[in-house]
Amino acid sequence: MLEIRSVVASYGSVVALKDISFTAEIGKITTVIGANGAGKSTLLRLISGLEVATSGAIHWQGESLLGKSPESIVRMGVAHVPEGHAVIAPLTVAENIEMGALFRRRSNKDDVKLAIGEVYELFPRLEERKNQLAGTLSGGERQMLAISRALVSRPSLLLLDEPSLGLAPLVVEQIIETIKALCISTGLTVLLVEQNANTALSVADHGVLLSLGSVVADQPAPLMRADSALRSAYLGY
Amino acid sequence: MSSHKNPGARNLFFVIIFAIVIFTLGAVLDPYNQGQLAVVSMLLIGVLSVTLLTGTSGQISLGQGALMAVGGYASALTILNLGLSMWLALAIAIIVSAMAGLLLGFAAARLTGPYLAGTTLVLALALPSLANRFESVFGGDVGLNVDFGNPPSWLISAFGEIGYEQWQLYATVPLTCLALLATANILSSRTGRMWRAIRDNESAASLMGVNVSTNKIFTFVVSSGFAGLSGALYGLRGIVGPSVYPISLSLLLLTGAILGGLRSIAGALIGSALVVFLPDFIDWATKPLALSEQIGNYLPGLIGGLLLLVTVVLNPGGISGALRRHK
Amino acid sequence: MNTLITTLFLGTTRGAVFALVALGLVLVWRGAGIVNFAQMGQAMFSTYVASTLIIKGYGYWFAFLIALVVGAILGAIVDLAVMRPLTRRSHAGILASESMRATVPVIASLGILGVLQSLAGMIWAAEERGFPTPVSDVAVKAFGKTAPFTKFDLFIIVVVALTLVVTTLFFKKTGMGLAMRATALNPEVARLSGIRISRVRTLSWAISGVASSLAGLLITPSANLSPNTLDLILIVGFTAAVVGGLDSLPGSVVGGFILGLLIAVINVYVSPDDVFLALLVFLLLVLILKPGGLFASKKVRNV
Repeated sequence: MLEIRSVVASYGSVVALKDISFTAEIGKITTVIGANGAGKSTLLRLISGLEVATSGAIHWQGESLLGKSPESIVRMGVAHVPEGHAVIAPLTVAENIEMGALFRRRSNKDDVKLAIGEVYELFPRLEERKNQLAGTLSGGERQMLAISRALVSRPSLLLLDEPSLGLAPLVVEQIIETIKALCISTGLTVLLVEQNANTALSVADHGVLLSLGSVVADQPAPLMRADSALRSAYLGY
Repeated sequence: MSSHKNPGARNLFFVIIFAIVIFTLGAVLDPYNQGQLAVVSMLLIGVLSVTLLTGTSGQISLGQGALMAVGGYASALTILNLGLSMWLALAIAIIVSAMAGLLLGFAAARLTGPYLAGTTLVLALALPSLANRFESVFGGDVGLNVDFGNPPSWLISAFGEIGYEQWQLYATVPLTCLALLATANILSSRTGRMWRAIRDNESAASLMGVNVSTNKIFTFVVSSGFAGLSGALYGLRGIVGPSVYPISLSLLLLTGAILGGLRSIAGALIGSALVVFLPDFIDWATKPLALSEQIGNYLPGLIGGLLLLVTVVLNPGGISGALRRHK
Repeated sequence: MNTLITTLFLGTTRGAVFALVALGLVLVWRGAGIVNFAQMGQAMFSTYVASTLIIKGYGYWFAFLIALVVGAILGAIVDLAVMRPLTRRSHAGILASESMRATVPVIASLGILGVLQSLAGMIWAAEERGFPTPVSDVAVKAFGKTAPFTKFDLFIIVVVALTLVVTTLFFKKTGMGLAMRATALNPEVARLSGIRISRVRTLSWAISGVASSLAGLLITPSANLSPNTLDLILIVGFTAAVVGGLDSLPGSVVGGFILGLLIAVINVYVSPDDVFLALLVFLLLVLILKPGGLFASKKVRNV
């Protein structure tokens, strides 16, 4: 499982995360929700190694992630899809996907081909646009591409940062359903950061509510969803 | 530099100390070192131009040597063709190079980093070729001959016989002091604060209401004036010509500023002394080793380059930066 | 008419070399965000190594190859010993300032240039040397007429064309090429894809070193070899890269040829003394009118 213990993230005088602790179970979707500025994106960046925690412990499957470079963390099975359709626009769809599997090519050449094939099956729209530049894709397609790039690395932990941003609800649904199916079939663990708490809580198994850098609630998603007091206090609905 | 004390008075005090020290040294050193000290005083003004342009407003220029050349030619032509006195010629040199700085600023103020560096480098290489283009005016490769002239009689009656190098030194130092004072005042003024804001974060400065492009151009004007004065004095040692202002001169100023400390006057002082006396020091230190001429010629360059690298990687603030940290 | 043709050929062969220099500069700019002012110093150094081998009796092609290897190694050393430590420094003190962080690598590359030139002077005594050509250096004669170019000129064009083809294939078709492009375009996403961007950067430096060594080997026969011969070539290469757009590999190549022709025309039709002036004017025009380079896309680059 993913263990976050007493993690503090401070940058100069700004404290983004003040002593966060929670766990995410294997094969389940755990969603981290909260208003803007709550520190959700920072949390994902700490896990994937893009930023360094000031103190605390982050463990995935018993191994510590703290202080490791993003490149090595990827090799530990952790894939991070940052917010804002993180694809490289001047590269083609195929190149963006290939990029995610580069580090495995020497050891698992055949499996890489398989993984790429599987991802095209998941998102047939991408296969149609294989040789188009990623910058020409629609928002939804770009998000699918970003997720595909992460999936071809065959992660065991997938970090999704606001996948629904700027996307039509139907598209979001499709993407989330695909992810959910993957969790069930492959035991993929997902940490989903979302602004749209309603959607997130309806697909997730577990919810962690952050407010101004602290955990204010940590419970099974259906419970959190039903807690109207919590919702109106922190989520505004 | 608190607002309680009077920074102007404090600066003046230090400059007067500086002048007294230099004059005293000048009186006791041998002619060669008097000449070297004169060069330090001249180059110091040029290094201050880097302190202002690069250290304070963050704009890198590899062409300060070319601006020195502008000043040198302006003063030489004034003396030779207009027959004016050396002091007037120096004033004209400052004005002309400041105007050149204005032109340069218009072109360069929009550029940053490597673009600015590359463009000023091309400028530094293009300017000498102008001298060859209009050979009749600029004297081509040979250049123009000017010098400091003789020391005024009142000075000789006051201090006795004054050697040529000594006179070079005594004529330069008052101007160096003026340059030091001007720099100190700029650094502690509102203008200096605006330049530093631009250096640290252009967009933030612009949001704070600083007119970035005007200030950047202004910095070019001021620093070019300094460089021009430095170049004019440098040329008065005997010749103004392309060989006197090679591209390595620009790099010398930059190296001095970096090694000594890019952001402070103390750094400029340390750096100027360093680049002038280091080759002499290396010569003296390696004498017992009896190095071949081949190695001896290139050793200062090697050590200078290594020092620059070490400074930039390990201690980018230069010597004065390190001293300030350990205060 | 004859002069024009000769000028065009001269411009094309020189342009080919400038294209190589510009290519090397753009490789490092895209891969590491730095303009390497020491590049031609590295080239000078490896050409000296080749020259020394040839003087000692080794064959031209062996020396050629060694020079390329030395170029790659020098490039890698510059990255590992200087540039990496530089970028790893914390943003404190003087480096807290944006413009200082952009300026410091420029100064570092100038320091490296100084060290390389001094070392070359110390090792090889700054007397000028010639450098042989592998093929004949006289005008080609065919069909009873004398062509306005030599076999060596053809050699240059062929080598540069080959290099460009190999480079394009490398970037478009290989995994490492893709990794390099990704690292240059978006280092964060590249890291998240598992690409070891520091290794990729070092490779950019090494490949750039090979390109610049190649340029040095090709242009030195017509100049003489001394620690300072290749300095001016860097300036032309830089201008070529800016003209073509510092972000664009194909642009830098085109820029090289444009500048080759420009300089040849100025040399022949105006005056050799005016070359730098022409360069300066051309550079300023491009920077003022089209800062992203002549082939800039809609996105205007912030220079």
